[in-house]
Amino acid sequence: MKSYVVRRSILDGFTFAFLIASLAVWIINPTDEQALNMRVNVALFAAAFILGTFVSHVLTKLKVTTLGESLFQPPYKKNKEAVAWYKTFSAWQLIVLLVGLMIVSIIKTKFSIYELLNEDGFNGAIRLFKGIGSPNFDILPKAILNIIETIFMAFLATALAIPFAFVLSFVSAKNVMTGKVGFSIYLAMRTLFNIMRSIEALVWAIIFSVWVGIGPFAGMLALMIHSIASLAKQYSEMVETVSEGPIEGVQSCGANKLQTIWYAIVPQVVLPYVSFTVYRWDINVRMATIIGLVGGGGIGTLLVQYQGQAMWPEVGTIIVVIAVVVWAMDQASAYIREALK
Amino acid sequence: MSVKPILSIKNLKKTYPNGVQALKGVSFDVKKGEFLVVIGLSGSGKSTMLRCINRLHEPTSGNLVFNDGKVEKDLAKIEKPAEIKWLRQNVGMIFQHFNLIPRHSVLSNVLMGKLSKTSTLKSLFGMFSDEDVAEAMKYLKLVGIADKAHIRADQLSGGQQQRVAIARALTQNPQILLADEPVASLDPATCHVVMDYLRKVNQELGITIVCNLHFLSLVRQYATRVVALKGGELVYEGDPKNIDEAWFEKIYGAGAKEVHIN
Ligand SMILES: Nc1ncnc2c1ncn2[C@@H]1O[C@H](COP(=O)(O)OP(=O)(O)OP(=O)(O)O)[C@@H](O)[C@H]1O
Ligand SMILES: [Mg+2]
Repeated sequence: MKSYVVRRSILDGFTFAFLIASLAVWIINPTDEQALNMRVNVALFAAAFILGTFVSHVLTKLKVTTLGESLFQPPYKKNKEAVAWYKTFSAWQLIVLLVGLMIVSIIKTKFSIYELLNEDGFNGAIRLFKGIGSPNFDILPKAILNIIETIFMAFLATALAIPFAFVLSFVSAKNVMTGKVGFSIYLAMRTLFNIMRSIEALVWAIIFSVWVGIGPFAGMLALMIHSIASLAKQYSEMVETVSEGPIEGVQSCGANKLQTIWYAIVPQVVLPYVSFTVYRWDINVRMATIIGLVGGGGIGTLLVQYQGQAMWPEVGTIIVVIAVVVWAMDQASAYIREALK
Repeated sequence: MSVKPILSIKNLKKTYPNGVQALKGVSFDVKKGEFLVVIGLSGSGKSTMLRCINRLHEPTSGNLVFNDGKVEKDLAKIEKPAEIKWLRQNVGMIFQHFNLIPRHSVLSNVLMGKLSKTSTLKSLFGMFSDEDVAEAMKYLKLVGIADKAHIRADQLSGGQQQRVAIARALTQNPQILLADEPVASLDPATCHVVMDYLRKVNQELGITIVCNLHFLSLVRQYATRVVALKGGELVYEGDPKNIDEAWFEKIYGAGAKEVHIN
């Protein structure tokens, strides 16, 4: 089956099943026990989903363009004439879907104007803001010491990730990994990176804080793993866009694979590599702060300590320090990347 | 007994993975020391043929019998990396878009011609022997740009880059030099400079040249023999002087007009 048909069916089927499920919940108003009954609910949802894909298929056969069809159909099938949006099925499908999503999410998040303006809560917030608004700069030296720890944690994570990502980037580039064996390695590497990246750095931090104990080392390892996967992916995408000319040129001289990579590909990708790496360090400083919250050390850990004791002026100081550093890193990395273009 | 051809192409076929049949069984001989020019319309398979000869592309079937008087080998049959290396040492190539490494110096580019004779480790550290550097400089002198040796390759004009590419190929000490439209992206004046250097390489160093060209006026001036491809098949083989009106129409199609450049 063509892949766009699969995508269309999933989108349309999901839209359909979602609307059916929402309506059902609204009408039946199930008890907690019913809501937690996985097996039955999944079966019902799946049934609705299959019905939806079927409806989508029938509508497409009837030349009614569903949302999935209009989004995923190949260019040659695209309608050449301009049709007013309110006359199209897909536009109304989108509107119904968005309105449905909006309603359900308002219910699910217990959105409440009352809570937002409730006097007790409001006073609490005012106290917090007052505290934060008058930072206690006595702890400034301590905060600076901790953010230095964070910056170096991010630096080391980035630096240690570079050699791994550098080597892996060629192994996971389609134009380098030619042939059957090469292509399988390429696929395996890509999948591995996607899995590694889909596990958030925060989760890696939790894993490593159990493994090596709470502290900056755990945070550094978490960031390193995440950086290897992210950098390798970005690097390898650069490798895939290099121009073929120098590769042919060097190969025609009898260069082997390593020589070809080193002389024809590397010179074309060093600048983007440096640029990505600087940006990664910048991102890592920000992530390191968050990772500190779960025991990854540095300024984040300090922040949760004060927050736990409701010491808002101290929290205020830390927020200022973080803001200044993040802003400075952001500017510096932007200027460096600009200069490297 | 006549000398064996340095390269004998027999029934060479190439079908690309997308199904395009670029070569449909081409056979002809390349004689030692000649300046053979390949002509034909865009898409007739000229580039494909050259890339099959030095195995940048894999031929689908056919033979490419190389014979320099000492070794006889079918280039289409070799598999091992070491043999590919040997092939590339004997068959150099220059390209329409020069294919130099932009950020490296001219000298470093020319030294690429020695990659196949340098150990991987040494070459990765750029450790080429003094003799190699001297030889690279010698060929840079031959193409008249020794004074640019330490300039970045992308700072040179097109004509100069192509001369660097010639020097790079010469540094391989090849017996055959393939040239894929070496002057197609150069202006007419520069074009003659580069063609003159190719002739010099052919006549003074005795390197056999197989060159794709677009302009018939250049063909008449430089070629010692011509073959023509059309739709992946050989349609002409002979003396450039004998390409008359009728042949021209056969090669390029009826209604085509010859363009002159000087
Ligand atoms: N890498 C490739 N993959 C698929 N088809 C290709 C590839 N390279 C060339 N072709 C096709 O093979 C045929 C011959 O192309 P080739 O480049 O050899 O022609 P050419 O004579 O060199 O033309 P030009 O004068 O434009 O350079 C063309 O139809 C082309 O589209
Ligand atoms: Mg071509």
